[in-house]
This record gives sequence, C-alpha cells and structure tokens, in this order.
Amino acid sequence: MVATDKQQASPLWTTTTSEVRLTGTWREAKPDYHVAPSPCHGACPVQGDIASWIQQVSRSEYYGAWLTLMENNPFPAIAGRICHHPCETACNRQQLDETVGICSLERFVGDMALTQSWALPAIKQDDDCSVAIVGGGPAGLSCAYQLRRRGFKVALYEARDQLGGLMRYGIPSYRLDRAILDAEIERIIDLGIDLHLEVELQDQAALKRLHKEYDAVYLATGASQSKNLPMLDYQQPWVLDSAAFLAAMSHGQNMLLGERILVIGGGSAAIDTARSARRLGKAVTILALEPEHLLPAQTIEVTEALEEGVEFVCGAMMQSTQVKDKGVQLHCVKVDFSAGAERGEFAIDVLTGSEFNLVADTVIPAIGQQVDMDRWAGLLAADQGLAQTDQGWQTSCRGIFAGGDMASMDRFVTHAVGMGKQAAQAISHYLRPHTEVAQVKTEKPVGFEAINSYYYPISKRQKQKQTELETRLDGFSEVQQALSDHGAMIEAGRCFSCGTCTYCDNCFYHCPDMAITKLATSEIDGSPNRAQSGPSRGIGYSIKSDYCKGCGLCVAECPTGSIIMREDTGCSTKQESCS
Amino acid sequence: MELIDYQDDGHFFSGHVACAGCVEALALRVILNTVGSDAMAVVAPSCSAVICGGYPASALKIPVFHTTLESAAASASGVKRGLVAQGKTETTVVALAGDGGTYDIGLQALSSAAERNEDILYICFDNEGYMNTGGQKSSSTPKSAVTGSTPAGKETSKKNMVEILAAHRIPYIATTSPGDLNDMAAKVEKAKAIRGTKVIIVLIPCLAGWGVVDDGAVKTARLAVDSGVFPLLEVFGGHDYVLNKTTKNQPINDYLKQQKRYRHMSVEQIASLQAEVDEQWQRIQKRVEVSSGFEA
Amino acid sequence: MTTNNDGTLLSGNHAVAWGVKLARPDVAPLYPITPQTPILEKIIELQDKGLMTVELLTPESEHSAMAAAIAASLTGARVFSATSSQGLLLMHELLHYAAGARAPIVLFNVNRTPASPWGFWPDQLDSLAQRDTGWIQLYSETPQESLDTTIMAFAIAEAANIPVMVNHDAFYVSHAVEAVRIPDQQWVDQFLPPLQLEHKLDTQTGRSFGAPIDQAAWNRSRREMCDAMTKVESLVSQTGQRWGALCGRNYGPLEHYRTAQADVLIVTMGSMCGTVREAVDEMRQQGQSVGLIKVRLFRPLPGAALREALVGVSTVLVLDRNYSPGMGGILHQELKSALFGMEKAPQIHGLLAGVGGVNVAAEHIQRWVSQYAQAEACVDSIWVE
Repeated sequence: MVATDKQQASPLWTTTTSEVRLTGTWREAKPDYHVAPSPCHGACPVQGDIASWIQQVSRSEYYGAWLTLMENNPFPAIAGRICHHPCETACNRQQLDETVGICSLERFVGDMALTQSWALPAIKQDDDCSVAIVGGGPAGLSCAYQLRRRGFKVALYEARDQLGGLMRYGIPSYRLDRAILDAEIERIIDLGIDLHLEVELQDQAALKRLHKEYDAVYLATGASQSKNLPMLDYQQPWVLDSAAFLAAMSHGQNMLLGERILVIGGGSAAIDTARSARRLGKAVTILALEPEHLLPAQTIEVTEALEEGVEFVCGAMMQSTQVKDKGVQLHCVKVDFSAGAERGEFAIDVLTGSEFNLVADTVIPAIGQQVDMDRWAGLLAADQGLAQTDQGWQTSCRGIFAGGDMASMDRFVTHAVGMGKQAAQAISHYLRPHTEVAQVKTEKPVGFEAINSYYYPISKRQKQKQTELETRLDGFSEVQQALSDHGAMIEAGRCFSCGTCTYCDNCFYHCPDMAITKLATSEIDGSPNRAQSGPSRGIGYSIKSDYCKGCGLCVAECPTGSIIMREDTGCSTKQESCS
Repeated sequence: MELIDYQDDGHFFSGHVACAGCVEALALRVILNTVGSDAMAVVAPSCSAVICGGYPASALKIPVFHTTLESAAASASGVKRGLVAQGKTETTVVALAGDGGTYDIGLQALSSAAERNEDILYICFDNEGYMNTGGQKSSSTPKSAVTGSTPAGKETSKKNMVEILAAHRIPYIATTSPGDLNDMAAKVEKAKAIRGTKVIIVLIPCLAGWGVVDDGAVKTARLAVDSGVFPLLEVFGGHDYVLNKTTKNQPINDYLKQQKRYRHMSVEQIASLQAEVDEQWQRIQKRVEVSSGFEA
Repeated sequence: MTTNNDGTLLSGNHAVAWGVKLARPDVAPLYPITPQTPILEKIIELQDKGLMTVELLTPESEHSAMAAAIAASLTGARVFSATSSQGLLLMHELLHYAAGARAPIVLFNVNRTPASPWGFWPDQLDSLAQRDTGWIQLYSETPQESLDTTIMAFAIAEAANIPVMVNHDAFYVSHAVEAVRIPDQQWVDQFLPPLQLEHKLDTQTGRSFGAPIDQAAWNRSRREMCDAMTKVESLVSQTGQRWGALCGRNYGPLEHYRTAQADVLIVTMGSMCGTVREAVDEMRQQGQSVGLIKVRLFRPLPGAALREALVGVSTVLVLDRNYSPGMGGILHQELKSALFGMEKAPQIHGLLAGVGGVNVAAEHIQRWVSQYAQAEACVDSIWVE
C-alpha cells in the first residue's frame, strides 16, 4: 500500500518564504509620499523652503542650509534680525507648545555664512540681456541678486550714496548691525552688479532712456513721502518727520530738540524712533491709536521699548496742539479702536469725556509713508496710490516692472525681498520666455493634525539672549544676541518639518508588512540621538505594491505629514517613490 | 526626534497574513530582527502562528516549531535542551505565544519552565483575549472590556502576570509595546544576553478585537502606556522593579476612547477602572521604591 | 545490584533505565508516576553517578514532558521519556502531535489501569487507547525484553521516523526482579549509531515545522504516515534480527511459542504471555496441541504474519488484559479485523482476562482452552474468571 507520490515535497516542513503571497492585493488605499507646503512656507514672503533648511541645520549641514536660504533671500542675516516672521505666526508647533524660532535660526545660519565668508556658487553662464534696477533697497537688491544669479547683466541705480534703502535709513543699528547690512549687500554687488550710486531718476525722460537702454527696468524706489496728520502743523520746528529723523540717525546726526519726545504711531517706525530717542537720553512717549495688544509693531519691539523706558499711551489720539512756555501741549482723547478686514484699515470712535493732555518738546509723527505716483503720470498707471502692476509685477508700461513699497502696502523688508524675487522670475520669463516659469505651490499647507506630535516631546523655544538693559541705552549696539550652536541645534530639532520628509525611517520601521524600501541609504547622520552602531538611514523610499496592505500606519507614524493615503484601484503595480 | 534604532536584517518576511495594520506583525518584525539569525522560534497557536506560518511558506527566516496551545514554554525548553545536548549552546530559543497561551492554558508550562529557569526568551503577545478565535475573554482581558464571551463587559480584573512571574524569581521580566519600537528592541536585546528564563509581555492592541481603526494600534498602545494602563516595566530577579516611563500623564478615558470594546462604559465604570489603574500605579511605585537599583 | 554469569538482578523498570543509558539519548524529559517512577529514578541515579550524560528535564507534567520531547527531537536530538496510565492519557494530545511531526521519540509506558476508579494495577487500556495516535507500539513480557526492546525501539523509531511506545505491565514486569544481561556499550553503539535526522530545526536551512496547512497537504501527511507504517513490520523484524546477531536474543513482531502443529493458539501480549507459556507447557505435556502467539508489535498490527501463523489452526483464544467499553477486548477486535477474508479462518474467542490486574493463573488458561476449544466463537468478547 503506497499512499504517496514521492515526487512531491513532504507537507511537514516549509520550503519557501511568505514572500510568495502577494498580500498587496488586499489593499484599498495606498500611501503616497508627497512634498507639501508647510504653513511657514505658505506664510513666508520670500517662499523660503523653511522646513528644508531647518532640517539641514539639524543635521549640521550649515552650508547647505545657507544655500537653501540663499535660493530665496540674499539677506538671511538681516531677515534673521528684523523679519516680522509671519512664518512663526503660522507655525504648527505653537499648537503643541511654542512656535519654532525660525528667525533666530535664520540669523544663526546667516551670521555663520558671514563669519566664515561663505561664497555663492559661481554664475554658470552670462546672458546678454540687461536689466536696470532703480532703487537699492531690499526689493531692488533682491531683484538684482536673483537676476544676476541667472546670468543677466544688472545695473543698479541708487539715489543715495549707500545701498540698503529702508534697511539702512529706517532701521536703527541696535536692531540691525551695520556690518551685517554692509556684508550682505556687498555679497550681492560682488556678483558683478553695475552699480550707480547717487544717481536719481530725475524725470520720465530718464526712465524712458533706461527703458530704451536696457531690456527691462525694475522700479523699486520705495515710498518716500510721509503721510501727514491733518491736525499737526508740519512747518513748526518742533515737528519732526520720523523717516528724516531715522535717516539722520543712520549718519549719526541728532535732530531732536528738548528732552521730551512724543512719537505718534504704533508701527515699527514709531518704535524705532522712540527707542532711538531713548538712546539719545530723551524721555519718550508713544501715542498710538491702537490698544497695546493690537499695535502693528512686533510684540518683541514693544516689549523691548517698554524695558527701555518708553511710555506708551495706547488707544488714544491727538486732537490739537498748543505751544506753551514749557513745551507743546497735545490735547488728546481716548478712542475705541476696531481693526478692519484689510491690513491698515480700521475704525475709531472717540470716547467723549476722556480728554487728556500730553506735553512734549518734539513731536514726531510716524504714521507711514506713501508713494509719489504723480511724477510718473502718463507713463505708469497708478492704483490707490501705488504703481499698478499685473501678477508678474509688470507695470502698465511693457518692460517696466515695479515692486517694493512702491507697489505694495505690505511694508515689510521681507515682503520687499519676496517681491524682488518674484519680479526677477517674471523679468527672467519676460526676457527668456522658454527658460523659466514661476513655481507656485498650490497645495494646502500641512496642518497640525497631519503631524504625529508623539515624536516631539514638549520643548520650550530657545530664547535669544538680549544685551543687558543697563548697557542698551548707552549706544546703538544690537539688543538681540544670536543663538549658541547648541541652542540652534535644539531649536532646529523642534521643527516639525511639516510636509518635508526628514528621512527619519519611521515609515520604514512602522510597516508591519515590510512593504517600504529604502531607495538608498546614508551612513552620514547628524542626529544627536543617533546610536553609533545603528542602521543606515534611508534617503528616499518606495512602496512595494506587492505587499502594502494599505493600513496607513506609515502615514499615522510620519512625524512630518509627508505621506498621505490615496485610493488605490489596484491597476498599477509599478513602484511609486519619493526621492 | 528620537530615531528608531534597530537593524532590520530581513528576518521577518513580507507576505504574511496578519490583518492590515496589525501591530503583532510589527512587534514580530522588531523582535525577530533583534533576536538575529542564531535563533529558533517556538510558536503556540495564536495570531502569531497564523502570521508566521501557512505551509509551504514561512514568514520567519529562522526555523519555527509550531507547538500546541499550552506548550510554548515546554516546547521551547525542549528545543533549547536538544540544542544544548548537541553543543549548540548559544542559539537563542524564543517562544511566541498569545495571552491565552500564557495567562490561561499555558501558564502551567510557563510556570514550570520559569521555575527550572530554562534558558529561553518567552514573548507573550498580549491582546487581552482570544482574538484569533474571534474575540473571547481570557484571564488577561481587563475589567469592563466587551468580548464575545463577556457581552456586558468583563466583571473581573486582568490577571497580573508580571507579579506571577516575579514570584518565580526569574532573571528578567519586561513589558513593552509597539508604541515604542526602540524600547521593544532594547528589551529584547537585553533579554537575549541574559541566561535563564526571560519573559517579555508585549501589549498588542487588536484592531478587530478591540475595535481600533486600521492605523490606530500604535497610538492606542502609546495611550495605554501614557495612561498607566500598561506600564512599561522591567523586573530583575523577580524583586527589582524598574519603571521605564515614570510619568502617567493621560487619563484612561483617552485610551478607552480609541476602542469599541469600552464604548458602553458609564462614567462610574470609567472612574472605577481609573481607580484600578491608579492603584496599580501606586503598587508599582512602591515596588520600585524598595528595589535595590540592581540591573542585570 | 547483584551480578553473576546469568546477568544482573534488575526490576523491569531498572532494566528499562539501563537500556536507556546504553542508547545514549540526548534529552530525557521525565515526570514521576507510579509505577513508572523507578525508571526516572534510575536514570537520574545513572546520570548522577556519571554513567550517562543526558539533558534531564523535570517539568510539571507529562504533557510538558512530551511537549519538550517533541521539540527536542525535532532539533535532531535523541529523546526518551517514560510514563504510565494517567500520564500517558495526559500526553494524548501530544502523542498525535509527535507522530504527525514524525519525531523519532521513544516513550516507555508502564501499563496501568486508567482512573476512574483509581487503581495502580496492570491493564493495557492506557496504551491501547492510544492506538490511533500514530505511534508504533511494542509490548514486552520480561525485564530483559524491556531492556532489549528499549534499545531496539530507538533503532526502529529513527529508521521509520515514527515515535515508538514500548509497554510493559505494572508490577508484573515493572517491579519483578530477574537476572538481566546488560549488553556491552560497544555493541549498542555499533547497533545504534548517533541520530541523523533528514529534516530538523536547523538555523542553516531555516525550515519550519508545523505551519498550518490546507486539506490536501494534511491528507498527504497522513498518506506519508501510511507509507511509513507499512514498512514497520519488516523493520521490526530486521531490527530484531540485527539485535539477535549481536547479543543472541532474537525478537520479531510476533513470538511463536510451541506453535508447531498447534490446533489451539492463544494470542496475547505482555506479562500474560509468561502465564500462558506455563499453561501451554502443561497442556503440551498432557498431549494437547496448544501454542502461544505473543504479539510484540501491536501497532502496526502485523496482519500478514498473524494470518500466516494461524493457518490450519482451528481455535484461537485472545486474552485481553483491557476492556474497551461497548466493544470488548481490543486485541480481540484487532485480530478479527486482521483475519478478515481469510479462508478457513479459525474460530476466535475473545476473553477479557485479567482486566484491572486481577490474577490470571495457568490453570485458568487451561480451563478456558478446554472450555472454548470446541465451542463456536461469538463475535463479542467474553468476561472470564
């Protein structure tokens, strides 16, 4: 009695591995690696790849981080000091503990580049097209930088004897050290910019000549006219324009009269004025329409001003003035302030019966600047007091582009830098239509819910040190001090890297089906938690369609929200990857 | 961010038939890759037996002996002794069993192996019930949990296996969970280096049995740890307790909410369960306090 | 231990222990139970005295003992265990498992009444109840045979890849002391080389045993066992002959005692055979043509050999020291089945003799022969006194 056929394997012992079963057929959805914009990126005026360069910092790849920064902004050391950082306002981390100190990290990298004299990569090829840029402020310099990098010939015309615009003539050196400003500007000029200082565009004919002489013109001459308060007589010797005061300060000239200074306004210019005056030993009061928590200036500026002894009278306005023996008396009244839908819009109700008086020797209104568009009438169209431009920053005159404060009410240095960058892209496209199309990330920014916060233990933001209060008022040296190396490393480690894969391998290790492949591996790993004998980290991943069951654990355990599940019809068996 | 730091050397193969999102498979991956190639596995009937097997294929690179439900510890002893008799003294023998095969039917054999201090690494995948048979209660099922055999919620508490094992004075007992793969790998690595009986209890939130979403078992495991429901412990020599995660910072409600098996619970029942967890936490704290701080 | 030219005075159980020692097992999981315990004790004593080296496991139950035995066996180790009655019944689940795993374990069972009611007496129901588990079953009559069979059992198990259960009766054999010749270790080593398992748990191959399988594969595993079982009868013969060539004691699946021209044959197993021999000698002296067929190999039952042995015999008395409720004597049932379709088959009387260990004396057997030799056989087994 022979009951078996010996040709077959005995059923007692396994002969193969489970890989013969293609359990990927169970799947209804499949993970997909994607690079999604982070909220900080979406909020950043220069669209800087913040998650990317912070990750480079966390891996100690400082030069790489700097190059990533320099892609979008030639002023990391400057922006790291003075940017109003909407990125931090948008940061997902604040929903866990505190926003990441993006500015402090940017400054850290920017300063390191200057200290170590890092050079930009050489310009690959020169282009015959030439562009004239009028205005050496942040928008003009940013545009010049971006066009020069692309190989264009760039001529930069500046009316004053030094470059920098508002960065030099509006921002005091205790916020932005002049050596930093000079160095970051010099780095741009060193790229080979044809520089024309103290050349002012006199009239429309001059602009037309430039238009003819160059293939394109970029106008970024700023908003040079101060807005006037109707109840103030600007002809009085005790009324001083804040822009003029700050510009004079940048040359070391003191225009102040008397010891009691009253600054009107709640924005950065007002605070800069007040704090500069404090450094000259004056008693300073700020009179602002807005209540303290709604002041347009950054909170840190207000805090530091208070620390330095600036008095704030918020939620009030001046109604009239009266010159007395011992100074000027300002008749003021409390107001009920409500912000409007758009930036700069507001409504006020005067609170009758709340009248009060202030006394000053000098009154400095700092309520904003406007553009003199009249001089371009007939050549360039205007829109609500600004140069009218299309989406690509081109004015009504073909080949003439405009930006900065001249074309926008977003009166921030980094907005100007961003506009310069965008204009450079548009000009490049204008001159070489086939070479460049501006990249627009339209995807929704990664939200906090996509971040697995388990991987981020509560960790307080690394605070920058400040110069001690006692010595601050002695001069104009910088108040904010840079992060230490260690502090920068910790702060970079706090970044969720929303939407940008950090190659942490979590997806790889959390797959119960071993359905994720590391596309390549790297032995280099700057993570402080890295064990000496640990595994090689992936630098890119792919999903094995044969085995992925579509459970979504990789998505759930992704600390950065860089994977999403997509419905899978099962038609495709090709490997989809991210690298 | 702490990176996962064990090396996957391909000791656990794709194509196994664990449910999509099953963290028992995930735990197997960590354990098998940490145990390494000079090892053999003994598997008791359980989800693991299904995951590992399926003739003619095996999901494990190392040899597996599938044994009977009550025999994991005894069979592992047999494998170890067989190898020792043939001079292969260094091979790690790892027993893989469920809570049914550990807390219930296999307790006798495990107790005996522990008493003999057999040189085995015993892993209990504790999914708190007979989940492979469709979800019935075991003596590991916690109070109030609904299973096929406790439709109104279990009336009695989960058996305290750590204390039972500690009473055997074996060199190493640990609890771990798929919520922290580094913790799991570290404990397996530590156990591997110790001679004698080592038992690691791995909490396995069961997607179907507990009513957890497909991608939620890792999170559920973390909440179990963070709420103190399943403390991460090590016990050396049966007397020295180490609490690996010393904070209990989540109310159990966050953990319970992840699972359908606790959906029926009243506020009073939740409070009662919370009291039980708090009491357990206090007891462990006391154990830790009187420990000499010895670590193997 | 008394030794003279005729051998060493040993109880049946101690003889088994000596057989185990000579077979050089690698692993021995053992759990005590009356009347098996002297086997365990003697093995531990031999180990303690340095006379043997074995990985001894003393688990909490026979169940775990067998679980360990199977696992150890599949690593390629030679494995021995021993038990009795309740212990064997507790092992039942794993007896199936061992056979399915084709683990060449040798298990020595001391036949004892299974409870309830509690008893400690010779009765073969414990092992016969395991006949469907896939184990080879051998029954021994004397301490010497138990020693020899223990050694041969390893050779058989390892050649067939089937576990072997050797049985002897409680007290009548287990505790009966007689002179036993202990073979030279050299002979045994020559007879029983180290185990080489073809399939085993091996980190080099990584192959696994016991993974859940489909219906067809399970069916196939049974067909393979079937093939292996068909070869056991001749394997037992050859092994017995090889053993005989070494030490002069021959053993086969059956033992024929004074069966020449026998008209009546008594068929039985175990210690009962000794009493039958006495009765046969007496009856032969009285001129009756009576003989004994001793069944040594019960599973697989050597059907062809039995049919051949019974050619020309008119009456067969099967003495069963066991009772399967609702059916009768198990050997009786098996023999009837084995002779199915045999031309001129003898009349087969099944006698339930000695169930529960009650004494069966030679004169009882003589009486039954005279009582049933001319009677027409009935299909059911008969309770006899």
